[in-house]
Amino acid sequence: MLKALGTEMKSVIGEEKIIERKVEEQPHPLGNGGKITVLPSTEEEIAAVVKYANENGMTITVTGTGTKRGFGGTIEDADILLSLENYHGIVEHTVGDMTITVKSGTKFEELQRYLQKHKQKIPLDPAWPENATIGGVIAVNDSGPKRFRNGSARDVVIGLRTVYPNGSVIRSGGKVVKNVAGYDMNKLFIGSMGTLGVLTEITMKLRPLPEYESLLLLSFPKGGMEEIRSFAVRLLDTMLEPVTLELINPVLAEKLTGQSTYTLAIGFEDVESSVHYQEEYVKKIHPEAQLTILQEDDSREFWQQFYQIGPKGTDSPSKLVTEASMKIGVKNMAIPEVIKESVHLQDMYNLEVFAHGGLGHGLCQVHLKGAAQDIKSALTHLRNLVKDLGGNSVIKYLPLTLRKEMDVWGEKPSYFFLLEGIKKKIDPKKTLNNQRFVGGI
Amino acid sequence: MAMKGLKIKDKHIRSLANLLSGPKPILYHKEDLLAYDCDGFTIERHLPKAVVFPKNTEEVAAIVKYCHENMLPFLARGAGTGLSGGAIPLNNEVVISLTRMKKLLSVDLENRIAVVEPGFVNLKLTNSIADKGYYYAPDPSSQYACTIGGNVAENAGGAHCLKYGVTTNHILGLELVLPNGEIIEIGKDGIPDSPGYDLLGLLTGSEGTLGIVTKITVRVLKNPEDKQTVLAYFDRVEDGSQAVSDIISTGIVPAALEMMDKTAIEAVEAAAFPVGHPRDIAAVLLIEVDGISSGIEEQISKILKVCKSRNVREVKVAESERERARWWANRKTGFGAMGAISPNYLVQDGVIPRSRLPEVLKKINEISEESGLRIANIFHAGDGNLHPLVLFDARVPGETERAIEAGSACLKVCADVGGTITGEHGVGIEKREEMRFVFTDEEIVAQTDVREVFNPDNLLNAGKLFPTPGRCAEVKKELKASTS
Amino acid sequence: MNMKIDEKILQSQVQDTPCSTSSLSNYFEKDAPDEKKWADCVHCGICLESCPTYEVTGQEQHSPRGRVHLIKSVAEGKLSLNEQFMDPVFACLDCRACTTACPADVEVGPLIEEARGQIRQAMPLTGWKGMMSKFFLEGLFPHHERLNKVGTLLKFYQKSGMQTAVRKTGLINIMPDHLVAMEGVMPKVTQSVRKKYKHEDVIKAKTETKSEVAMLTGCIMDVMFGDVNDATVKVLTRNGNDVTIPKEQTCCGALHVHAGDREMGRKLAKQNMEAFHDADTVITNAAGCGAMLKEYPELFREDPEWHEKAVEFSKKVQDISKYLYDTGYEIPKAELNTKITYHDACHLVHGQGVRQEPRDLLINIPGVEMVHMPNADRCCGSAGIYNLTNPEMAGAVLDNKMENVPEEVEMISMGNPGCMLQMAMGVKKDGRNQRVVHTVQLLNWAYEKEDKKREEENEWQ
Repeated sequence: MLKALGTEMKSVIGEEKIIERKVEEQPHPLGNGGKITVLPSTEEEIAAVVKYANENGMTITVTGTGTKRGFGGTIEDADILLSLENYHGIVEHTVGDMTITVKSGTKFEELQRYLQKHKQKIPLDPAWPENATIGGVIAVNDSGPKRFRNGSARDVVIGLRTVYPNGSVIRSGGKVVKNVAGYDMNKLFIGSMGTLGVLTEITMKLRPLPEYESLLLLSFPKGGMEEIRSFAVRLLDTMLEPVTLELINPVLAEKLTGQSTYTLAIGFEDVESSVHYQEEYVKKIHPEAQLTILQEDDSREFWQQFYQIGPKGTDSPSKLVTEASMKIGVKNMAIPEVIKESVHLQDMYNLEVFAHGGLGHGLCQVHLKGAAQDIKSALTHLRNLVKDLGGNSVIKYLPLTLRKEMDVWGEKPSYFFLLEGIKKKIDPKKTLNNQRFVGGI
Repeated sequence: MAMKGLKIKDKHIRSLANLLSGPKPILYHKEDLLAYDCDGFTIERHLPKAVVFPKNTEEVAAIVKYCHENMLPFLARGAGTGLSGGAIPLNNEVVISLTRMKKLLSVDLENRIAVVEPGFVNLKLTNSIADKGYYYAPDPSSQYACTIGGNVAENAGGAHCLKYGVTTNHILGLELVLPNGEIIEIGKDGIPDSPGYDLLGLLTGSEGTLGIVTKITVRVLKNPEDKQTVLAYFDRVEDGSQAVSDIISTGIVPAALEMMDKTAIEAVEAAAFPVGHPRDIAAVLLIEVDGISSGIEEQISKILKVCKSRNVREVKVAESERERARWWANRKTGFGAMGAISPNYLVQDGVIPRSRLPEVLKKINEISEESGLRIANIFHAGDGNLHPLVLFDARVPGETERAIEAGSACLKVCADVGGTITGEHGVGIEKREEMRFVFTDEEIVAQTDVREVFNPDNLLNAGKLFPTPGRCAEVKKELKASTS
Repeated sequence: MNMKIDEKILQSQVQDTPCSTSSLSNYFEKDAPDEKKWADCVHCGICLESCPTYEVTGQEQHSPRGRVHLIKSVAEGKLSLNEQFMDPVFACLDCRACTTACPADVEVGPLIEEARGQIRQAMPLTGWKGMMSKFFLEGLFPHHERLNKVGTLLKFYQKSGMQTAVRKTGLINIMPDHLVAMEGVMPKVTQSVRKKYKHEDVIKAKTETKSEVAMLTGCIMDVMFGDVNDATVKVLTRNGNDVTIPKEQTCCGALHVHAGDREMGRKLAKQNMEAFHDADTVITNAAGCGAMLKEYPELFREDPEWHEKAVEFSKKVQDISKYLYDTGYEIPKAELNTKITYHDACHLVHGQGVRQEPRDLLINIPGVEMVHMPNADRCCGSAGIYNLTNPEMAGAVLDNKMENVPEEVEMISMGNPGCMLQMAMGVKKDGRNQRVVHTVQLLNWAYEKEDKKREEENEWQ
């Protein structure tokens, strides 16, 4: 079987770009693999592989470096694992236009380092920037604490080239920052978990690198949620322009700062005078607070560490402890409640729980470590709480066996027939990332 | 008002009237319908079958359901300020006017969201929360009158979207009536990232072809601590456009960066809100920066320096809020002001990469000379969004056609330099054919495929957005499907 | 019922529309709406939200842009001068807010008035509206002596206790609703200045004479708000103006022109121009009248001789608030200690472009605290006799207005008698206890208080 697949693939793409799995090799415990791996390095090759698979009833899992392997999907192996690791590089960067077009397999940090030379940046802050590819970041719509001020992938991407299951390349958007010609198809692909097409080229808006940055770590030893909440409300009602307003639970705070208290991470990025002015302002509105200010490199270092706290799909999961991650969306001011509950989970289920959530953007990330059964119970517990708060929850990381037991996407929305309809229109044969997304689409 | 007592001959009109409440909820006399034969795009005019004025979502759904069951084409309309003809009833539609659904339903400043009905006027939202220091960012020039529902349909932009983004960046939730009358809700309470494809993003800017929005949750923002506005006059357009690029390259993201050329200046100075621009200059730049005060000072001095290095004739900073407001009123009423120097105008909406500005302006100038029609330029220079205004007199035989041609030629220029045909006005009727400048048949079919999921019978706002012979491709595809 | 009669007339009239030219236009040739006025309209829609009737109905035929579109359509032969056309054209409040909003300066107001003239030529008014209109416009307003009699009657009605009787006995129940509401707020009638100063050719300035002005007393103003006129005379003379009140002056004609009776409008205009021929400055304190006088040239588009006279005349007309502000006036010294708000009369703000001057006059009075009224320049629904002819719409417009009037003020100041009556009705309907005043009254009270104080001080010395 494997042999036959390998032979078939060779008619589509060069032999050196195919890796056949050794017979003794086990499927990856996170699933989302392929019986055979292909590593195309051009868009034509990608299109050829996809087209061939589609025409011949094969299935494909799309991947970059694999940081999101534990996210969604209930299939151990598709026929083909289409890896974009070797499809990378900058296609076009017009400095004066502040836009960049890149190949989807390019690593995020690599891009930022390149742009730094031009005093520009992609205004996104995803997890594992050293490993994550830009294609992956866009396909799962990953975002970090700076989403508060900078927005998310949907605010940054202005154009895409997408290989459709039938092998055709569909362009959406363009190279300009404002565009309403036709439907905004970009939005359809962002966060679509690769279920509609393979993103090949991505064009994004850039922002100037801030001249100065600092990070205020405000700790609340008493841990009163009302105190945190009312401080946040007050801060948000001023004209300050924080980039982040992220509440961190004590366990995570200890890991990051050495201090085990609820901590608010308030970041400022602007010209230096403005950053300092805002620091002073925060001191004024919360004079009795315990405040640590990290300037420039210290601030950057903090964030670098921060983006590496969750489980990473490229690592093999440990056999001893189970890890999981949940992304939770609630109203901004419900964030403290969720973070507080994450602390209860620790005691209730004997877990290590890292949790943080943005009071300016309404998203929480909760990373759990412990015994498999406890993890399951804790996730269910959290999910119920979020439901009561009227929010949504998605499990972003979980080993395959557990993913088969719990629906990582939660309940189907009432308008699921539209989502299903779109999938059917574009990928009727379920060639791409089958069952990876909501309701098994 | 005693509507239902009247004998209405048309059975459908009678049935539709019975689904509605409120005073005079349906118009069907030709005299009344005439006011609905076009929107802000006046070149094509078609009478609707009727205009209905539902008061709530249920009435919208009932009307839509009735139309769907009886195969009557229909479309939604807000204030009718759209510039591409999106609300024109090409197929004798039943026009569903949402002007009576104009309530501000709730404001939740702690969570920075507001919920409005689709007929709520854009500027009213900012006015309702201004006293608390908040505002709604998208500010199309028609914001005095245009509705947020219409803004969603068109994904409206505005002068300040350079820094803060367009409508789609501020929409957090929608309630929507699908073309079969079903009501769905996406993005409850403004909570981000509902699992599933980003339908909010897809619907915003779908020009009313996928559903009728009946409730909208938007993000509101806190006012910046300070803002400053600069006016700069240039003797050469090239200097002006170069200054635009330079400002952006210094790392400043202005809240707005607007430009007007000589003809545009002539119009705004002849119209209702003149500010005394010199008539002999080639270009005026209106630059606004906002944010934390101390940062602004620095930015302003950088901007002044850039302007000077680009041979600015005169540059000044607004000294009072009143002066600033005057400058903006002058700019924002720019389109309407064309009425003061020309009986008709056709406004285009191309977008280009900022760096190509000088060459594109030169080409537009050539188009003007070739067509023998004056073209004024008002544009959001900061994001490369051009509004060439082709001036013409519809009473002169042949001028309308020449104006349309010239407009289309401008868009071709934009597309050819890697830009697009519309940045904020939408495709509507006007730019259907020009869609071919930027999309292949296959890419257009990819879009109509999505439409079919929502609007399979194509009763809702049919004939908009996509080129008509695009059907060729659809037909080809069908043929292919049936033969394979 | 009425509609049927109107329709019959309409059919008989419209069929033989004397459209003798070969054009498609369905207008009468004489005094037809001016093509140049709608040519400027590019259909942008910025006017929509400024329009009170659009706000109430949400319908475009009741918006400025829609009305202009319909007016143009008649000229293009797409519509006829019929009932369906009449409805939107006559539902216009003529508040001119659209003129202020319009980026291209389209003169919607004059266009509407021209269209109304056409409709009246095609279909003379009948029924209740016709009677009302005939009574007020032809029988009453142009005749000062008759108005005075009404004034006397009103005074009698109020003083004799009959008012109380009517209210108590329930007689009021048989009057139409909107008249009942109106009756409830009729001001206490004071003496007309035309009567008061009938023996004086010139009312001399109290101080050294700086200039000479003539005053238009207005119809409603002089009868219903004699005290406002009196205050105007006092304020003018105190600030060095000799005031004359030409006896031959008559109604300004605004109500007639609004109603489409342009012939009568022209007749009254001519009489006024003659009456004020010798004056260099014509002062008005009724915004509606002032705006009309300034627009006399519009009536004589087809009569070059009178047109020229009208242009000259219109330059002489000044609203009292602007006149005082521009020529300089004495800022009162006494404190009034009151919280007020200001309502922009449409014909002052939109019709004459006077917005800041009256506000400044008020703010400069010591002790006056001005509370901001949102949408202060939104019509109150009075609009001449619109509140009598279109009571439902006027009521809806008034409700919208009252939502914006701050609760905490003691007085609402404005510069037009029609607004004063309508706003008084709004205050009453809303169950409030606020006083409706004219700007010049407040100024005069401040002067009087100052004088009184000085007298008292003098007595002490």
